[in-house]
Amino acid sequence: MSDVSSLEAEVAKLIVRTLTLKVDPAQIQPEEPLFGDGLGLDSIDALELSLAISQFYGHQIRSDDPDTVATFASLRSLCQSIEKHRTK
Amino acid sequence: MNTAALLGPYHADRVLAWENGSPITYGRFLSDVGALADLLPEKPTVINLADDRYRFLVGFAAALVRGQTTLLPPSRAPGALAQIARDYGTSYCLVDGTEQVGQLPSYQIPKGTGSPTDTAKVPQIPIDHPAVVAFTSGSTGHPHPHSKTWGSLVAVARSTGTRLGLKTSDHMTVVATVPHQHMYGLEASIMLPIQHGMAFHVGRPLFPEDVRLALAGVPSPRMLVTTPLHIRACVTARSRLPHVECILSATAPLSRSLAKQAETLFQTTVYEVYGFTEAGSLATRRTVAENAWHVLDGITLHQESAGCSLQALYLREPIPFPDLVSLQGPHRFVLHGRGTDLVNIGGHRGSLSDLNQKLNEIEGVQDGVFFLPDETGTSVTRLIAFVVAPGKAAEHILSALRTVIDPLFLPRPLHLVPHLPRNETGKLTREALLGLLQELHKEERHGT
Repeated sequence: MSDVSSLEAEVAKLIVRTLTLKVDPAQIQPEEPLFGDGLGLDSIDALELSLAISQFYGHQIRSDDPDTVATFASLRSLCQSIEKHRTK
Repeated sequence: MNTAALLGPYHADRVLAWENGSPITYGRFLSDVGALADLLPEKPTVINLADDRYRFLVGFAAALVRGQTTLLPPSRAPGALAQIARDYGTSYCLVDGTEQVGQLPSYQIPKGTGSPTDTAKVPQIPIDHPAVVAFTSGSTGHPHPHSKTWGSLVAVARSTGTRLGLKTSDHMTVVATVPHQHMYGLEASIMLPIQHGMAFHVGRPLFPEDVRLALAGVPSPRMLVTTPLHIRACVTARSRLPHVECILSATAPLSRSLAKQAETLFQTTVYEVYGFTEAGSLATRRTVAENAWHVLDGITLHQESAGCSLQALYLREPIPFPDLVSLQGPHRFVLHGRGTDLVNIGGHRGSLSDLNQKLNEIEGVQDGVFFLPDETGTSVTRLIAFVVAPGKAAEHILSALRTVIDPLFLPRPLHLVPHLPRNETGKLTREALLGLLQELHKEERHGT
């Protein structure tokens, strides 16, 4: 299950571009944590990322959704959430 | 002894807080405060880490009743908390989760144990009691404490309310995206409501959709206490916010065009509040209409040879502005920019010299410097760092930094370099660092 889907590759590029990270999108491990020790993202990043996701995929992320902590856990979980809720 | 009441107007069945659509009354609040105050240990200082705004307030008020001082840690970074725990070794913590700070004893703030009594009396707090200690990151690498008296918090809350034309009869409800452990959050989302018989939402919405739901979960009239960052997010997402009477923005400059967009899109009035830790909130402006800041009642401005300062009855001495300002009479000023040592990332203020000191204390770092590139575009500009650390990986330095500085100040990216372009006096000029950055970008493009 460590194959990277095309959506994961696309979202990884979106993350790197939106947050001007100095990582190769292909190097982001789908199961690696996005926040804290993994990519080390913080709440400003979460906000920036949520805007980009709503613009590209029409998915409005919210934190009182019981799934949100899980949503931002990793690239893979983020993509699963986008897949489920996208309107674009 | 001069005192000021914990609450402005008091009516037991008036709503103070909204939690998932359920009201918590002022009566129940006083009863919760009384119950908790009886349980608190006999210690002078408390670190209140509660995330829930209501529970934070219960802890804060119970500490006041017991004559204790609430410490407001500059960040949640484990190193920052540990530093405060070392400096205030006789403290205890109030939490609403499972947080633990060093060896300090932790107490849970109970959730709604008290049942309101009709006989509850509004506590009177001595105005010179040090209610909170806020911290700034000094240039020494050690957080610098600023004690705030209860009288000063009440004075700022009252004069802010007067400026905004708040009437107790409006019974406005505040929804805040800012943490109540920061001065602006404490002033605008805790002190302002309790001194004007207002209510607040217990949560702290982050995403535009959270803000919309939080606002929808409280009755009108509403006030949104927030930052330029969240305003931009709501504008960009074209959120359909429920009607808000006014939006209060602070922590970073709000552009006039963004303020205009927010006013048009949300059919509201946007005010900015200006303040800094040493003085608290001190001026406001209606961003779309005025460039100059109007100081709150009771504050006067002074031009001195070294710069500008402000004075108020509740401040022990005149306080110099950390930012560059020019006065327009005793009550108005124009902001020109920040002092060179100060950086503001997403509303968090830090000192470059403090960050540099922490960077250079990391094992294996021979030389290092933080650098704030010129701001471009609309997104938040992040710090970058140049570090000389032979044999060390950038990840190693980053994880060491993560334990001692606020994550918002983590360099993005951290460049490892063979040496820093110091001049003959050992100084690093902005031009030299910009040159180094351009060189690195050039190398990246050429793939070397």
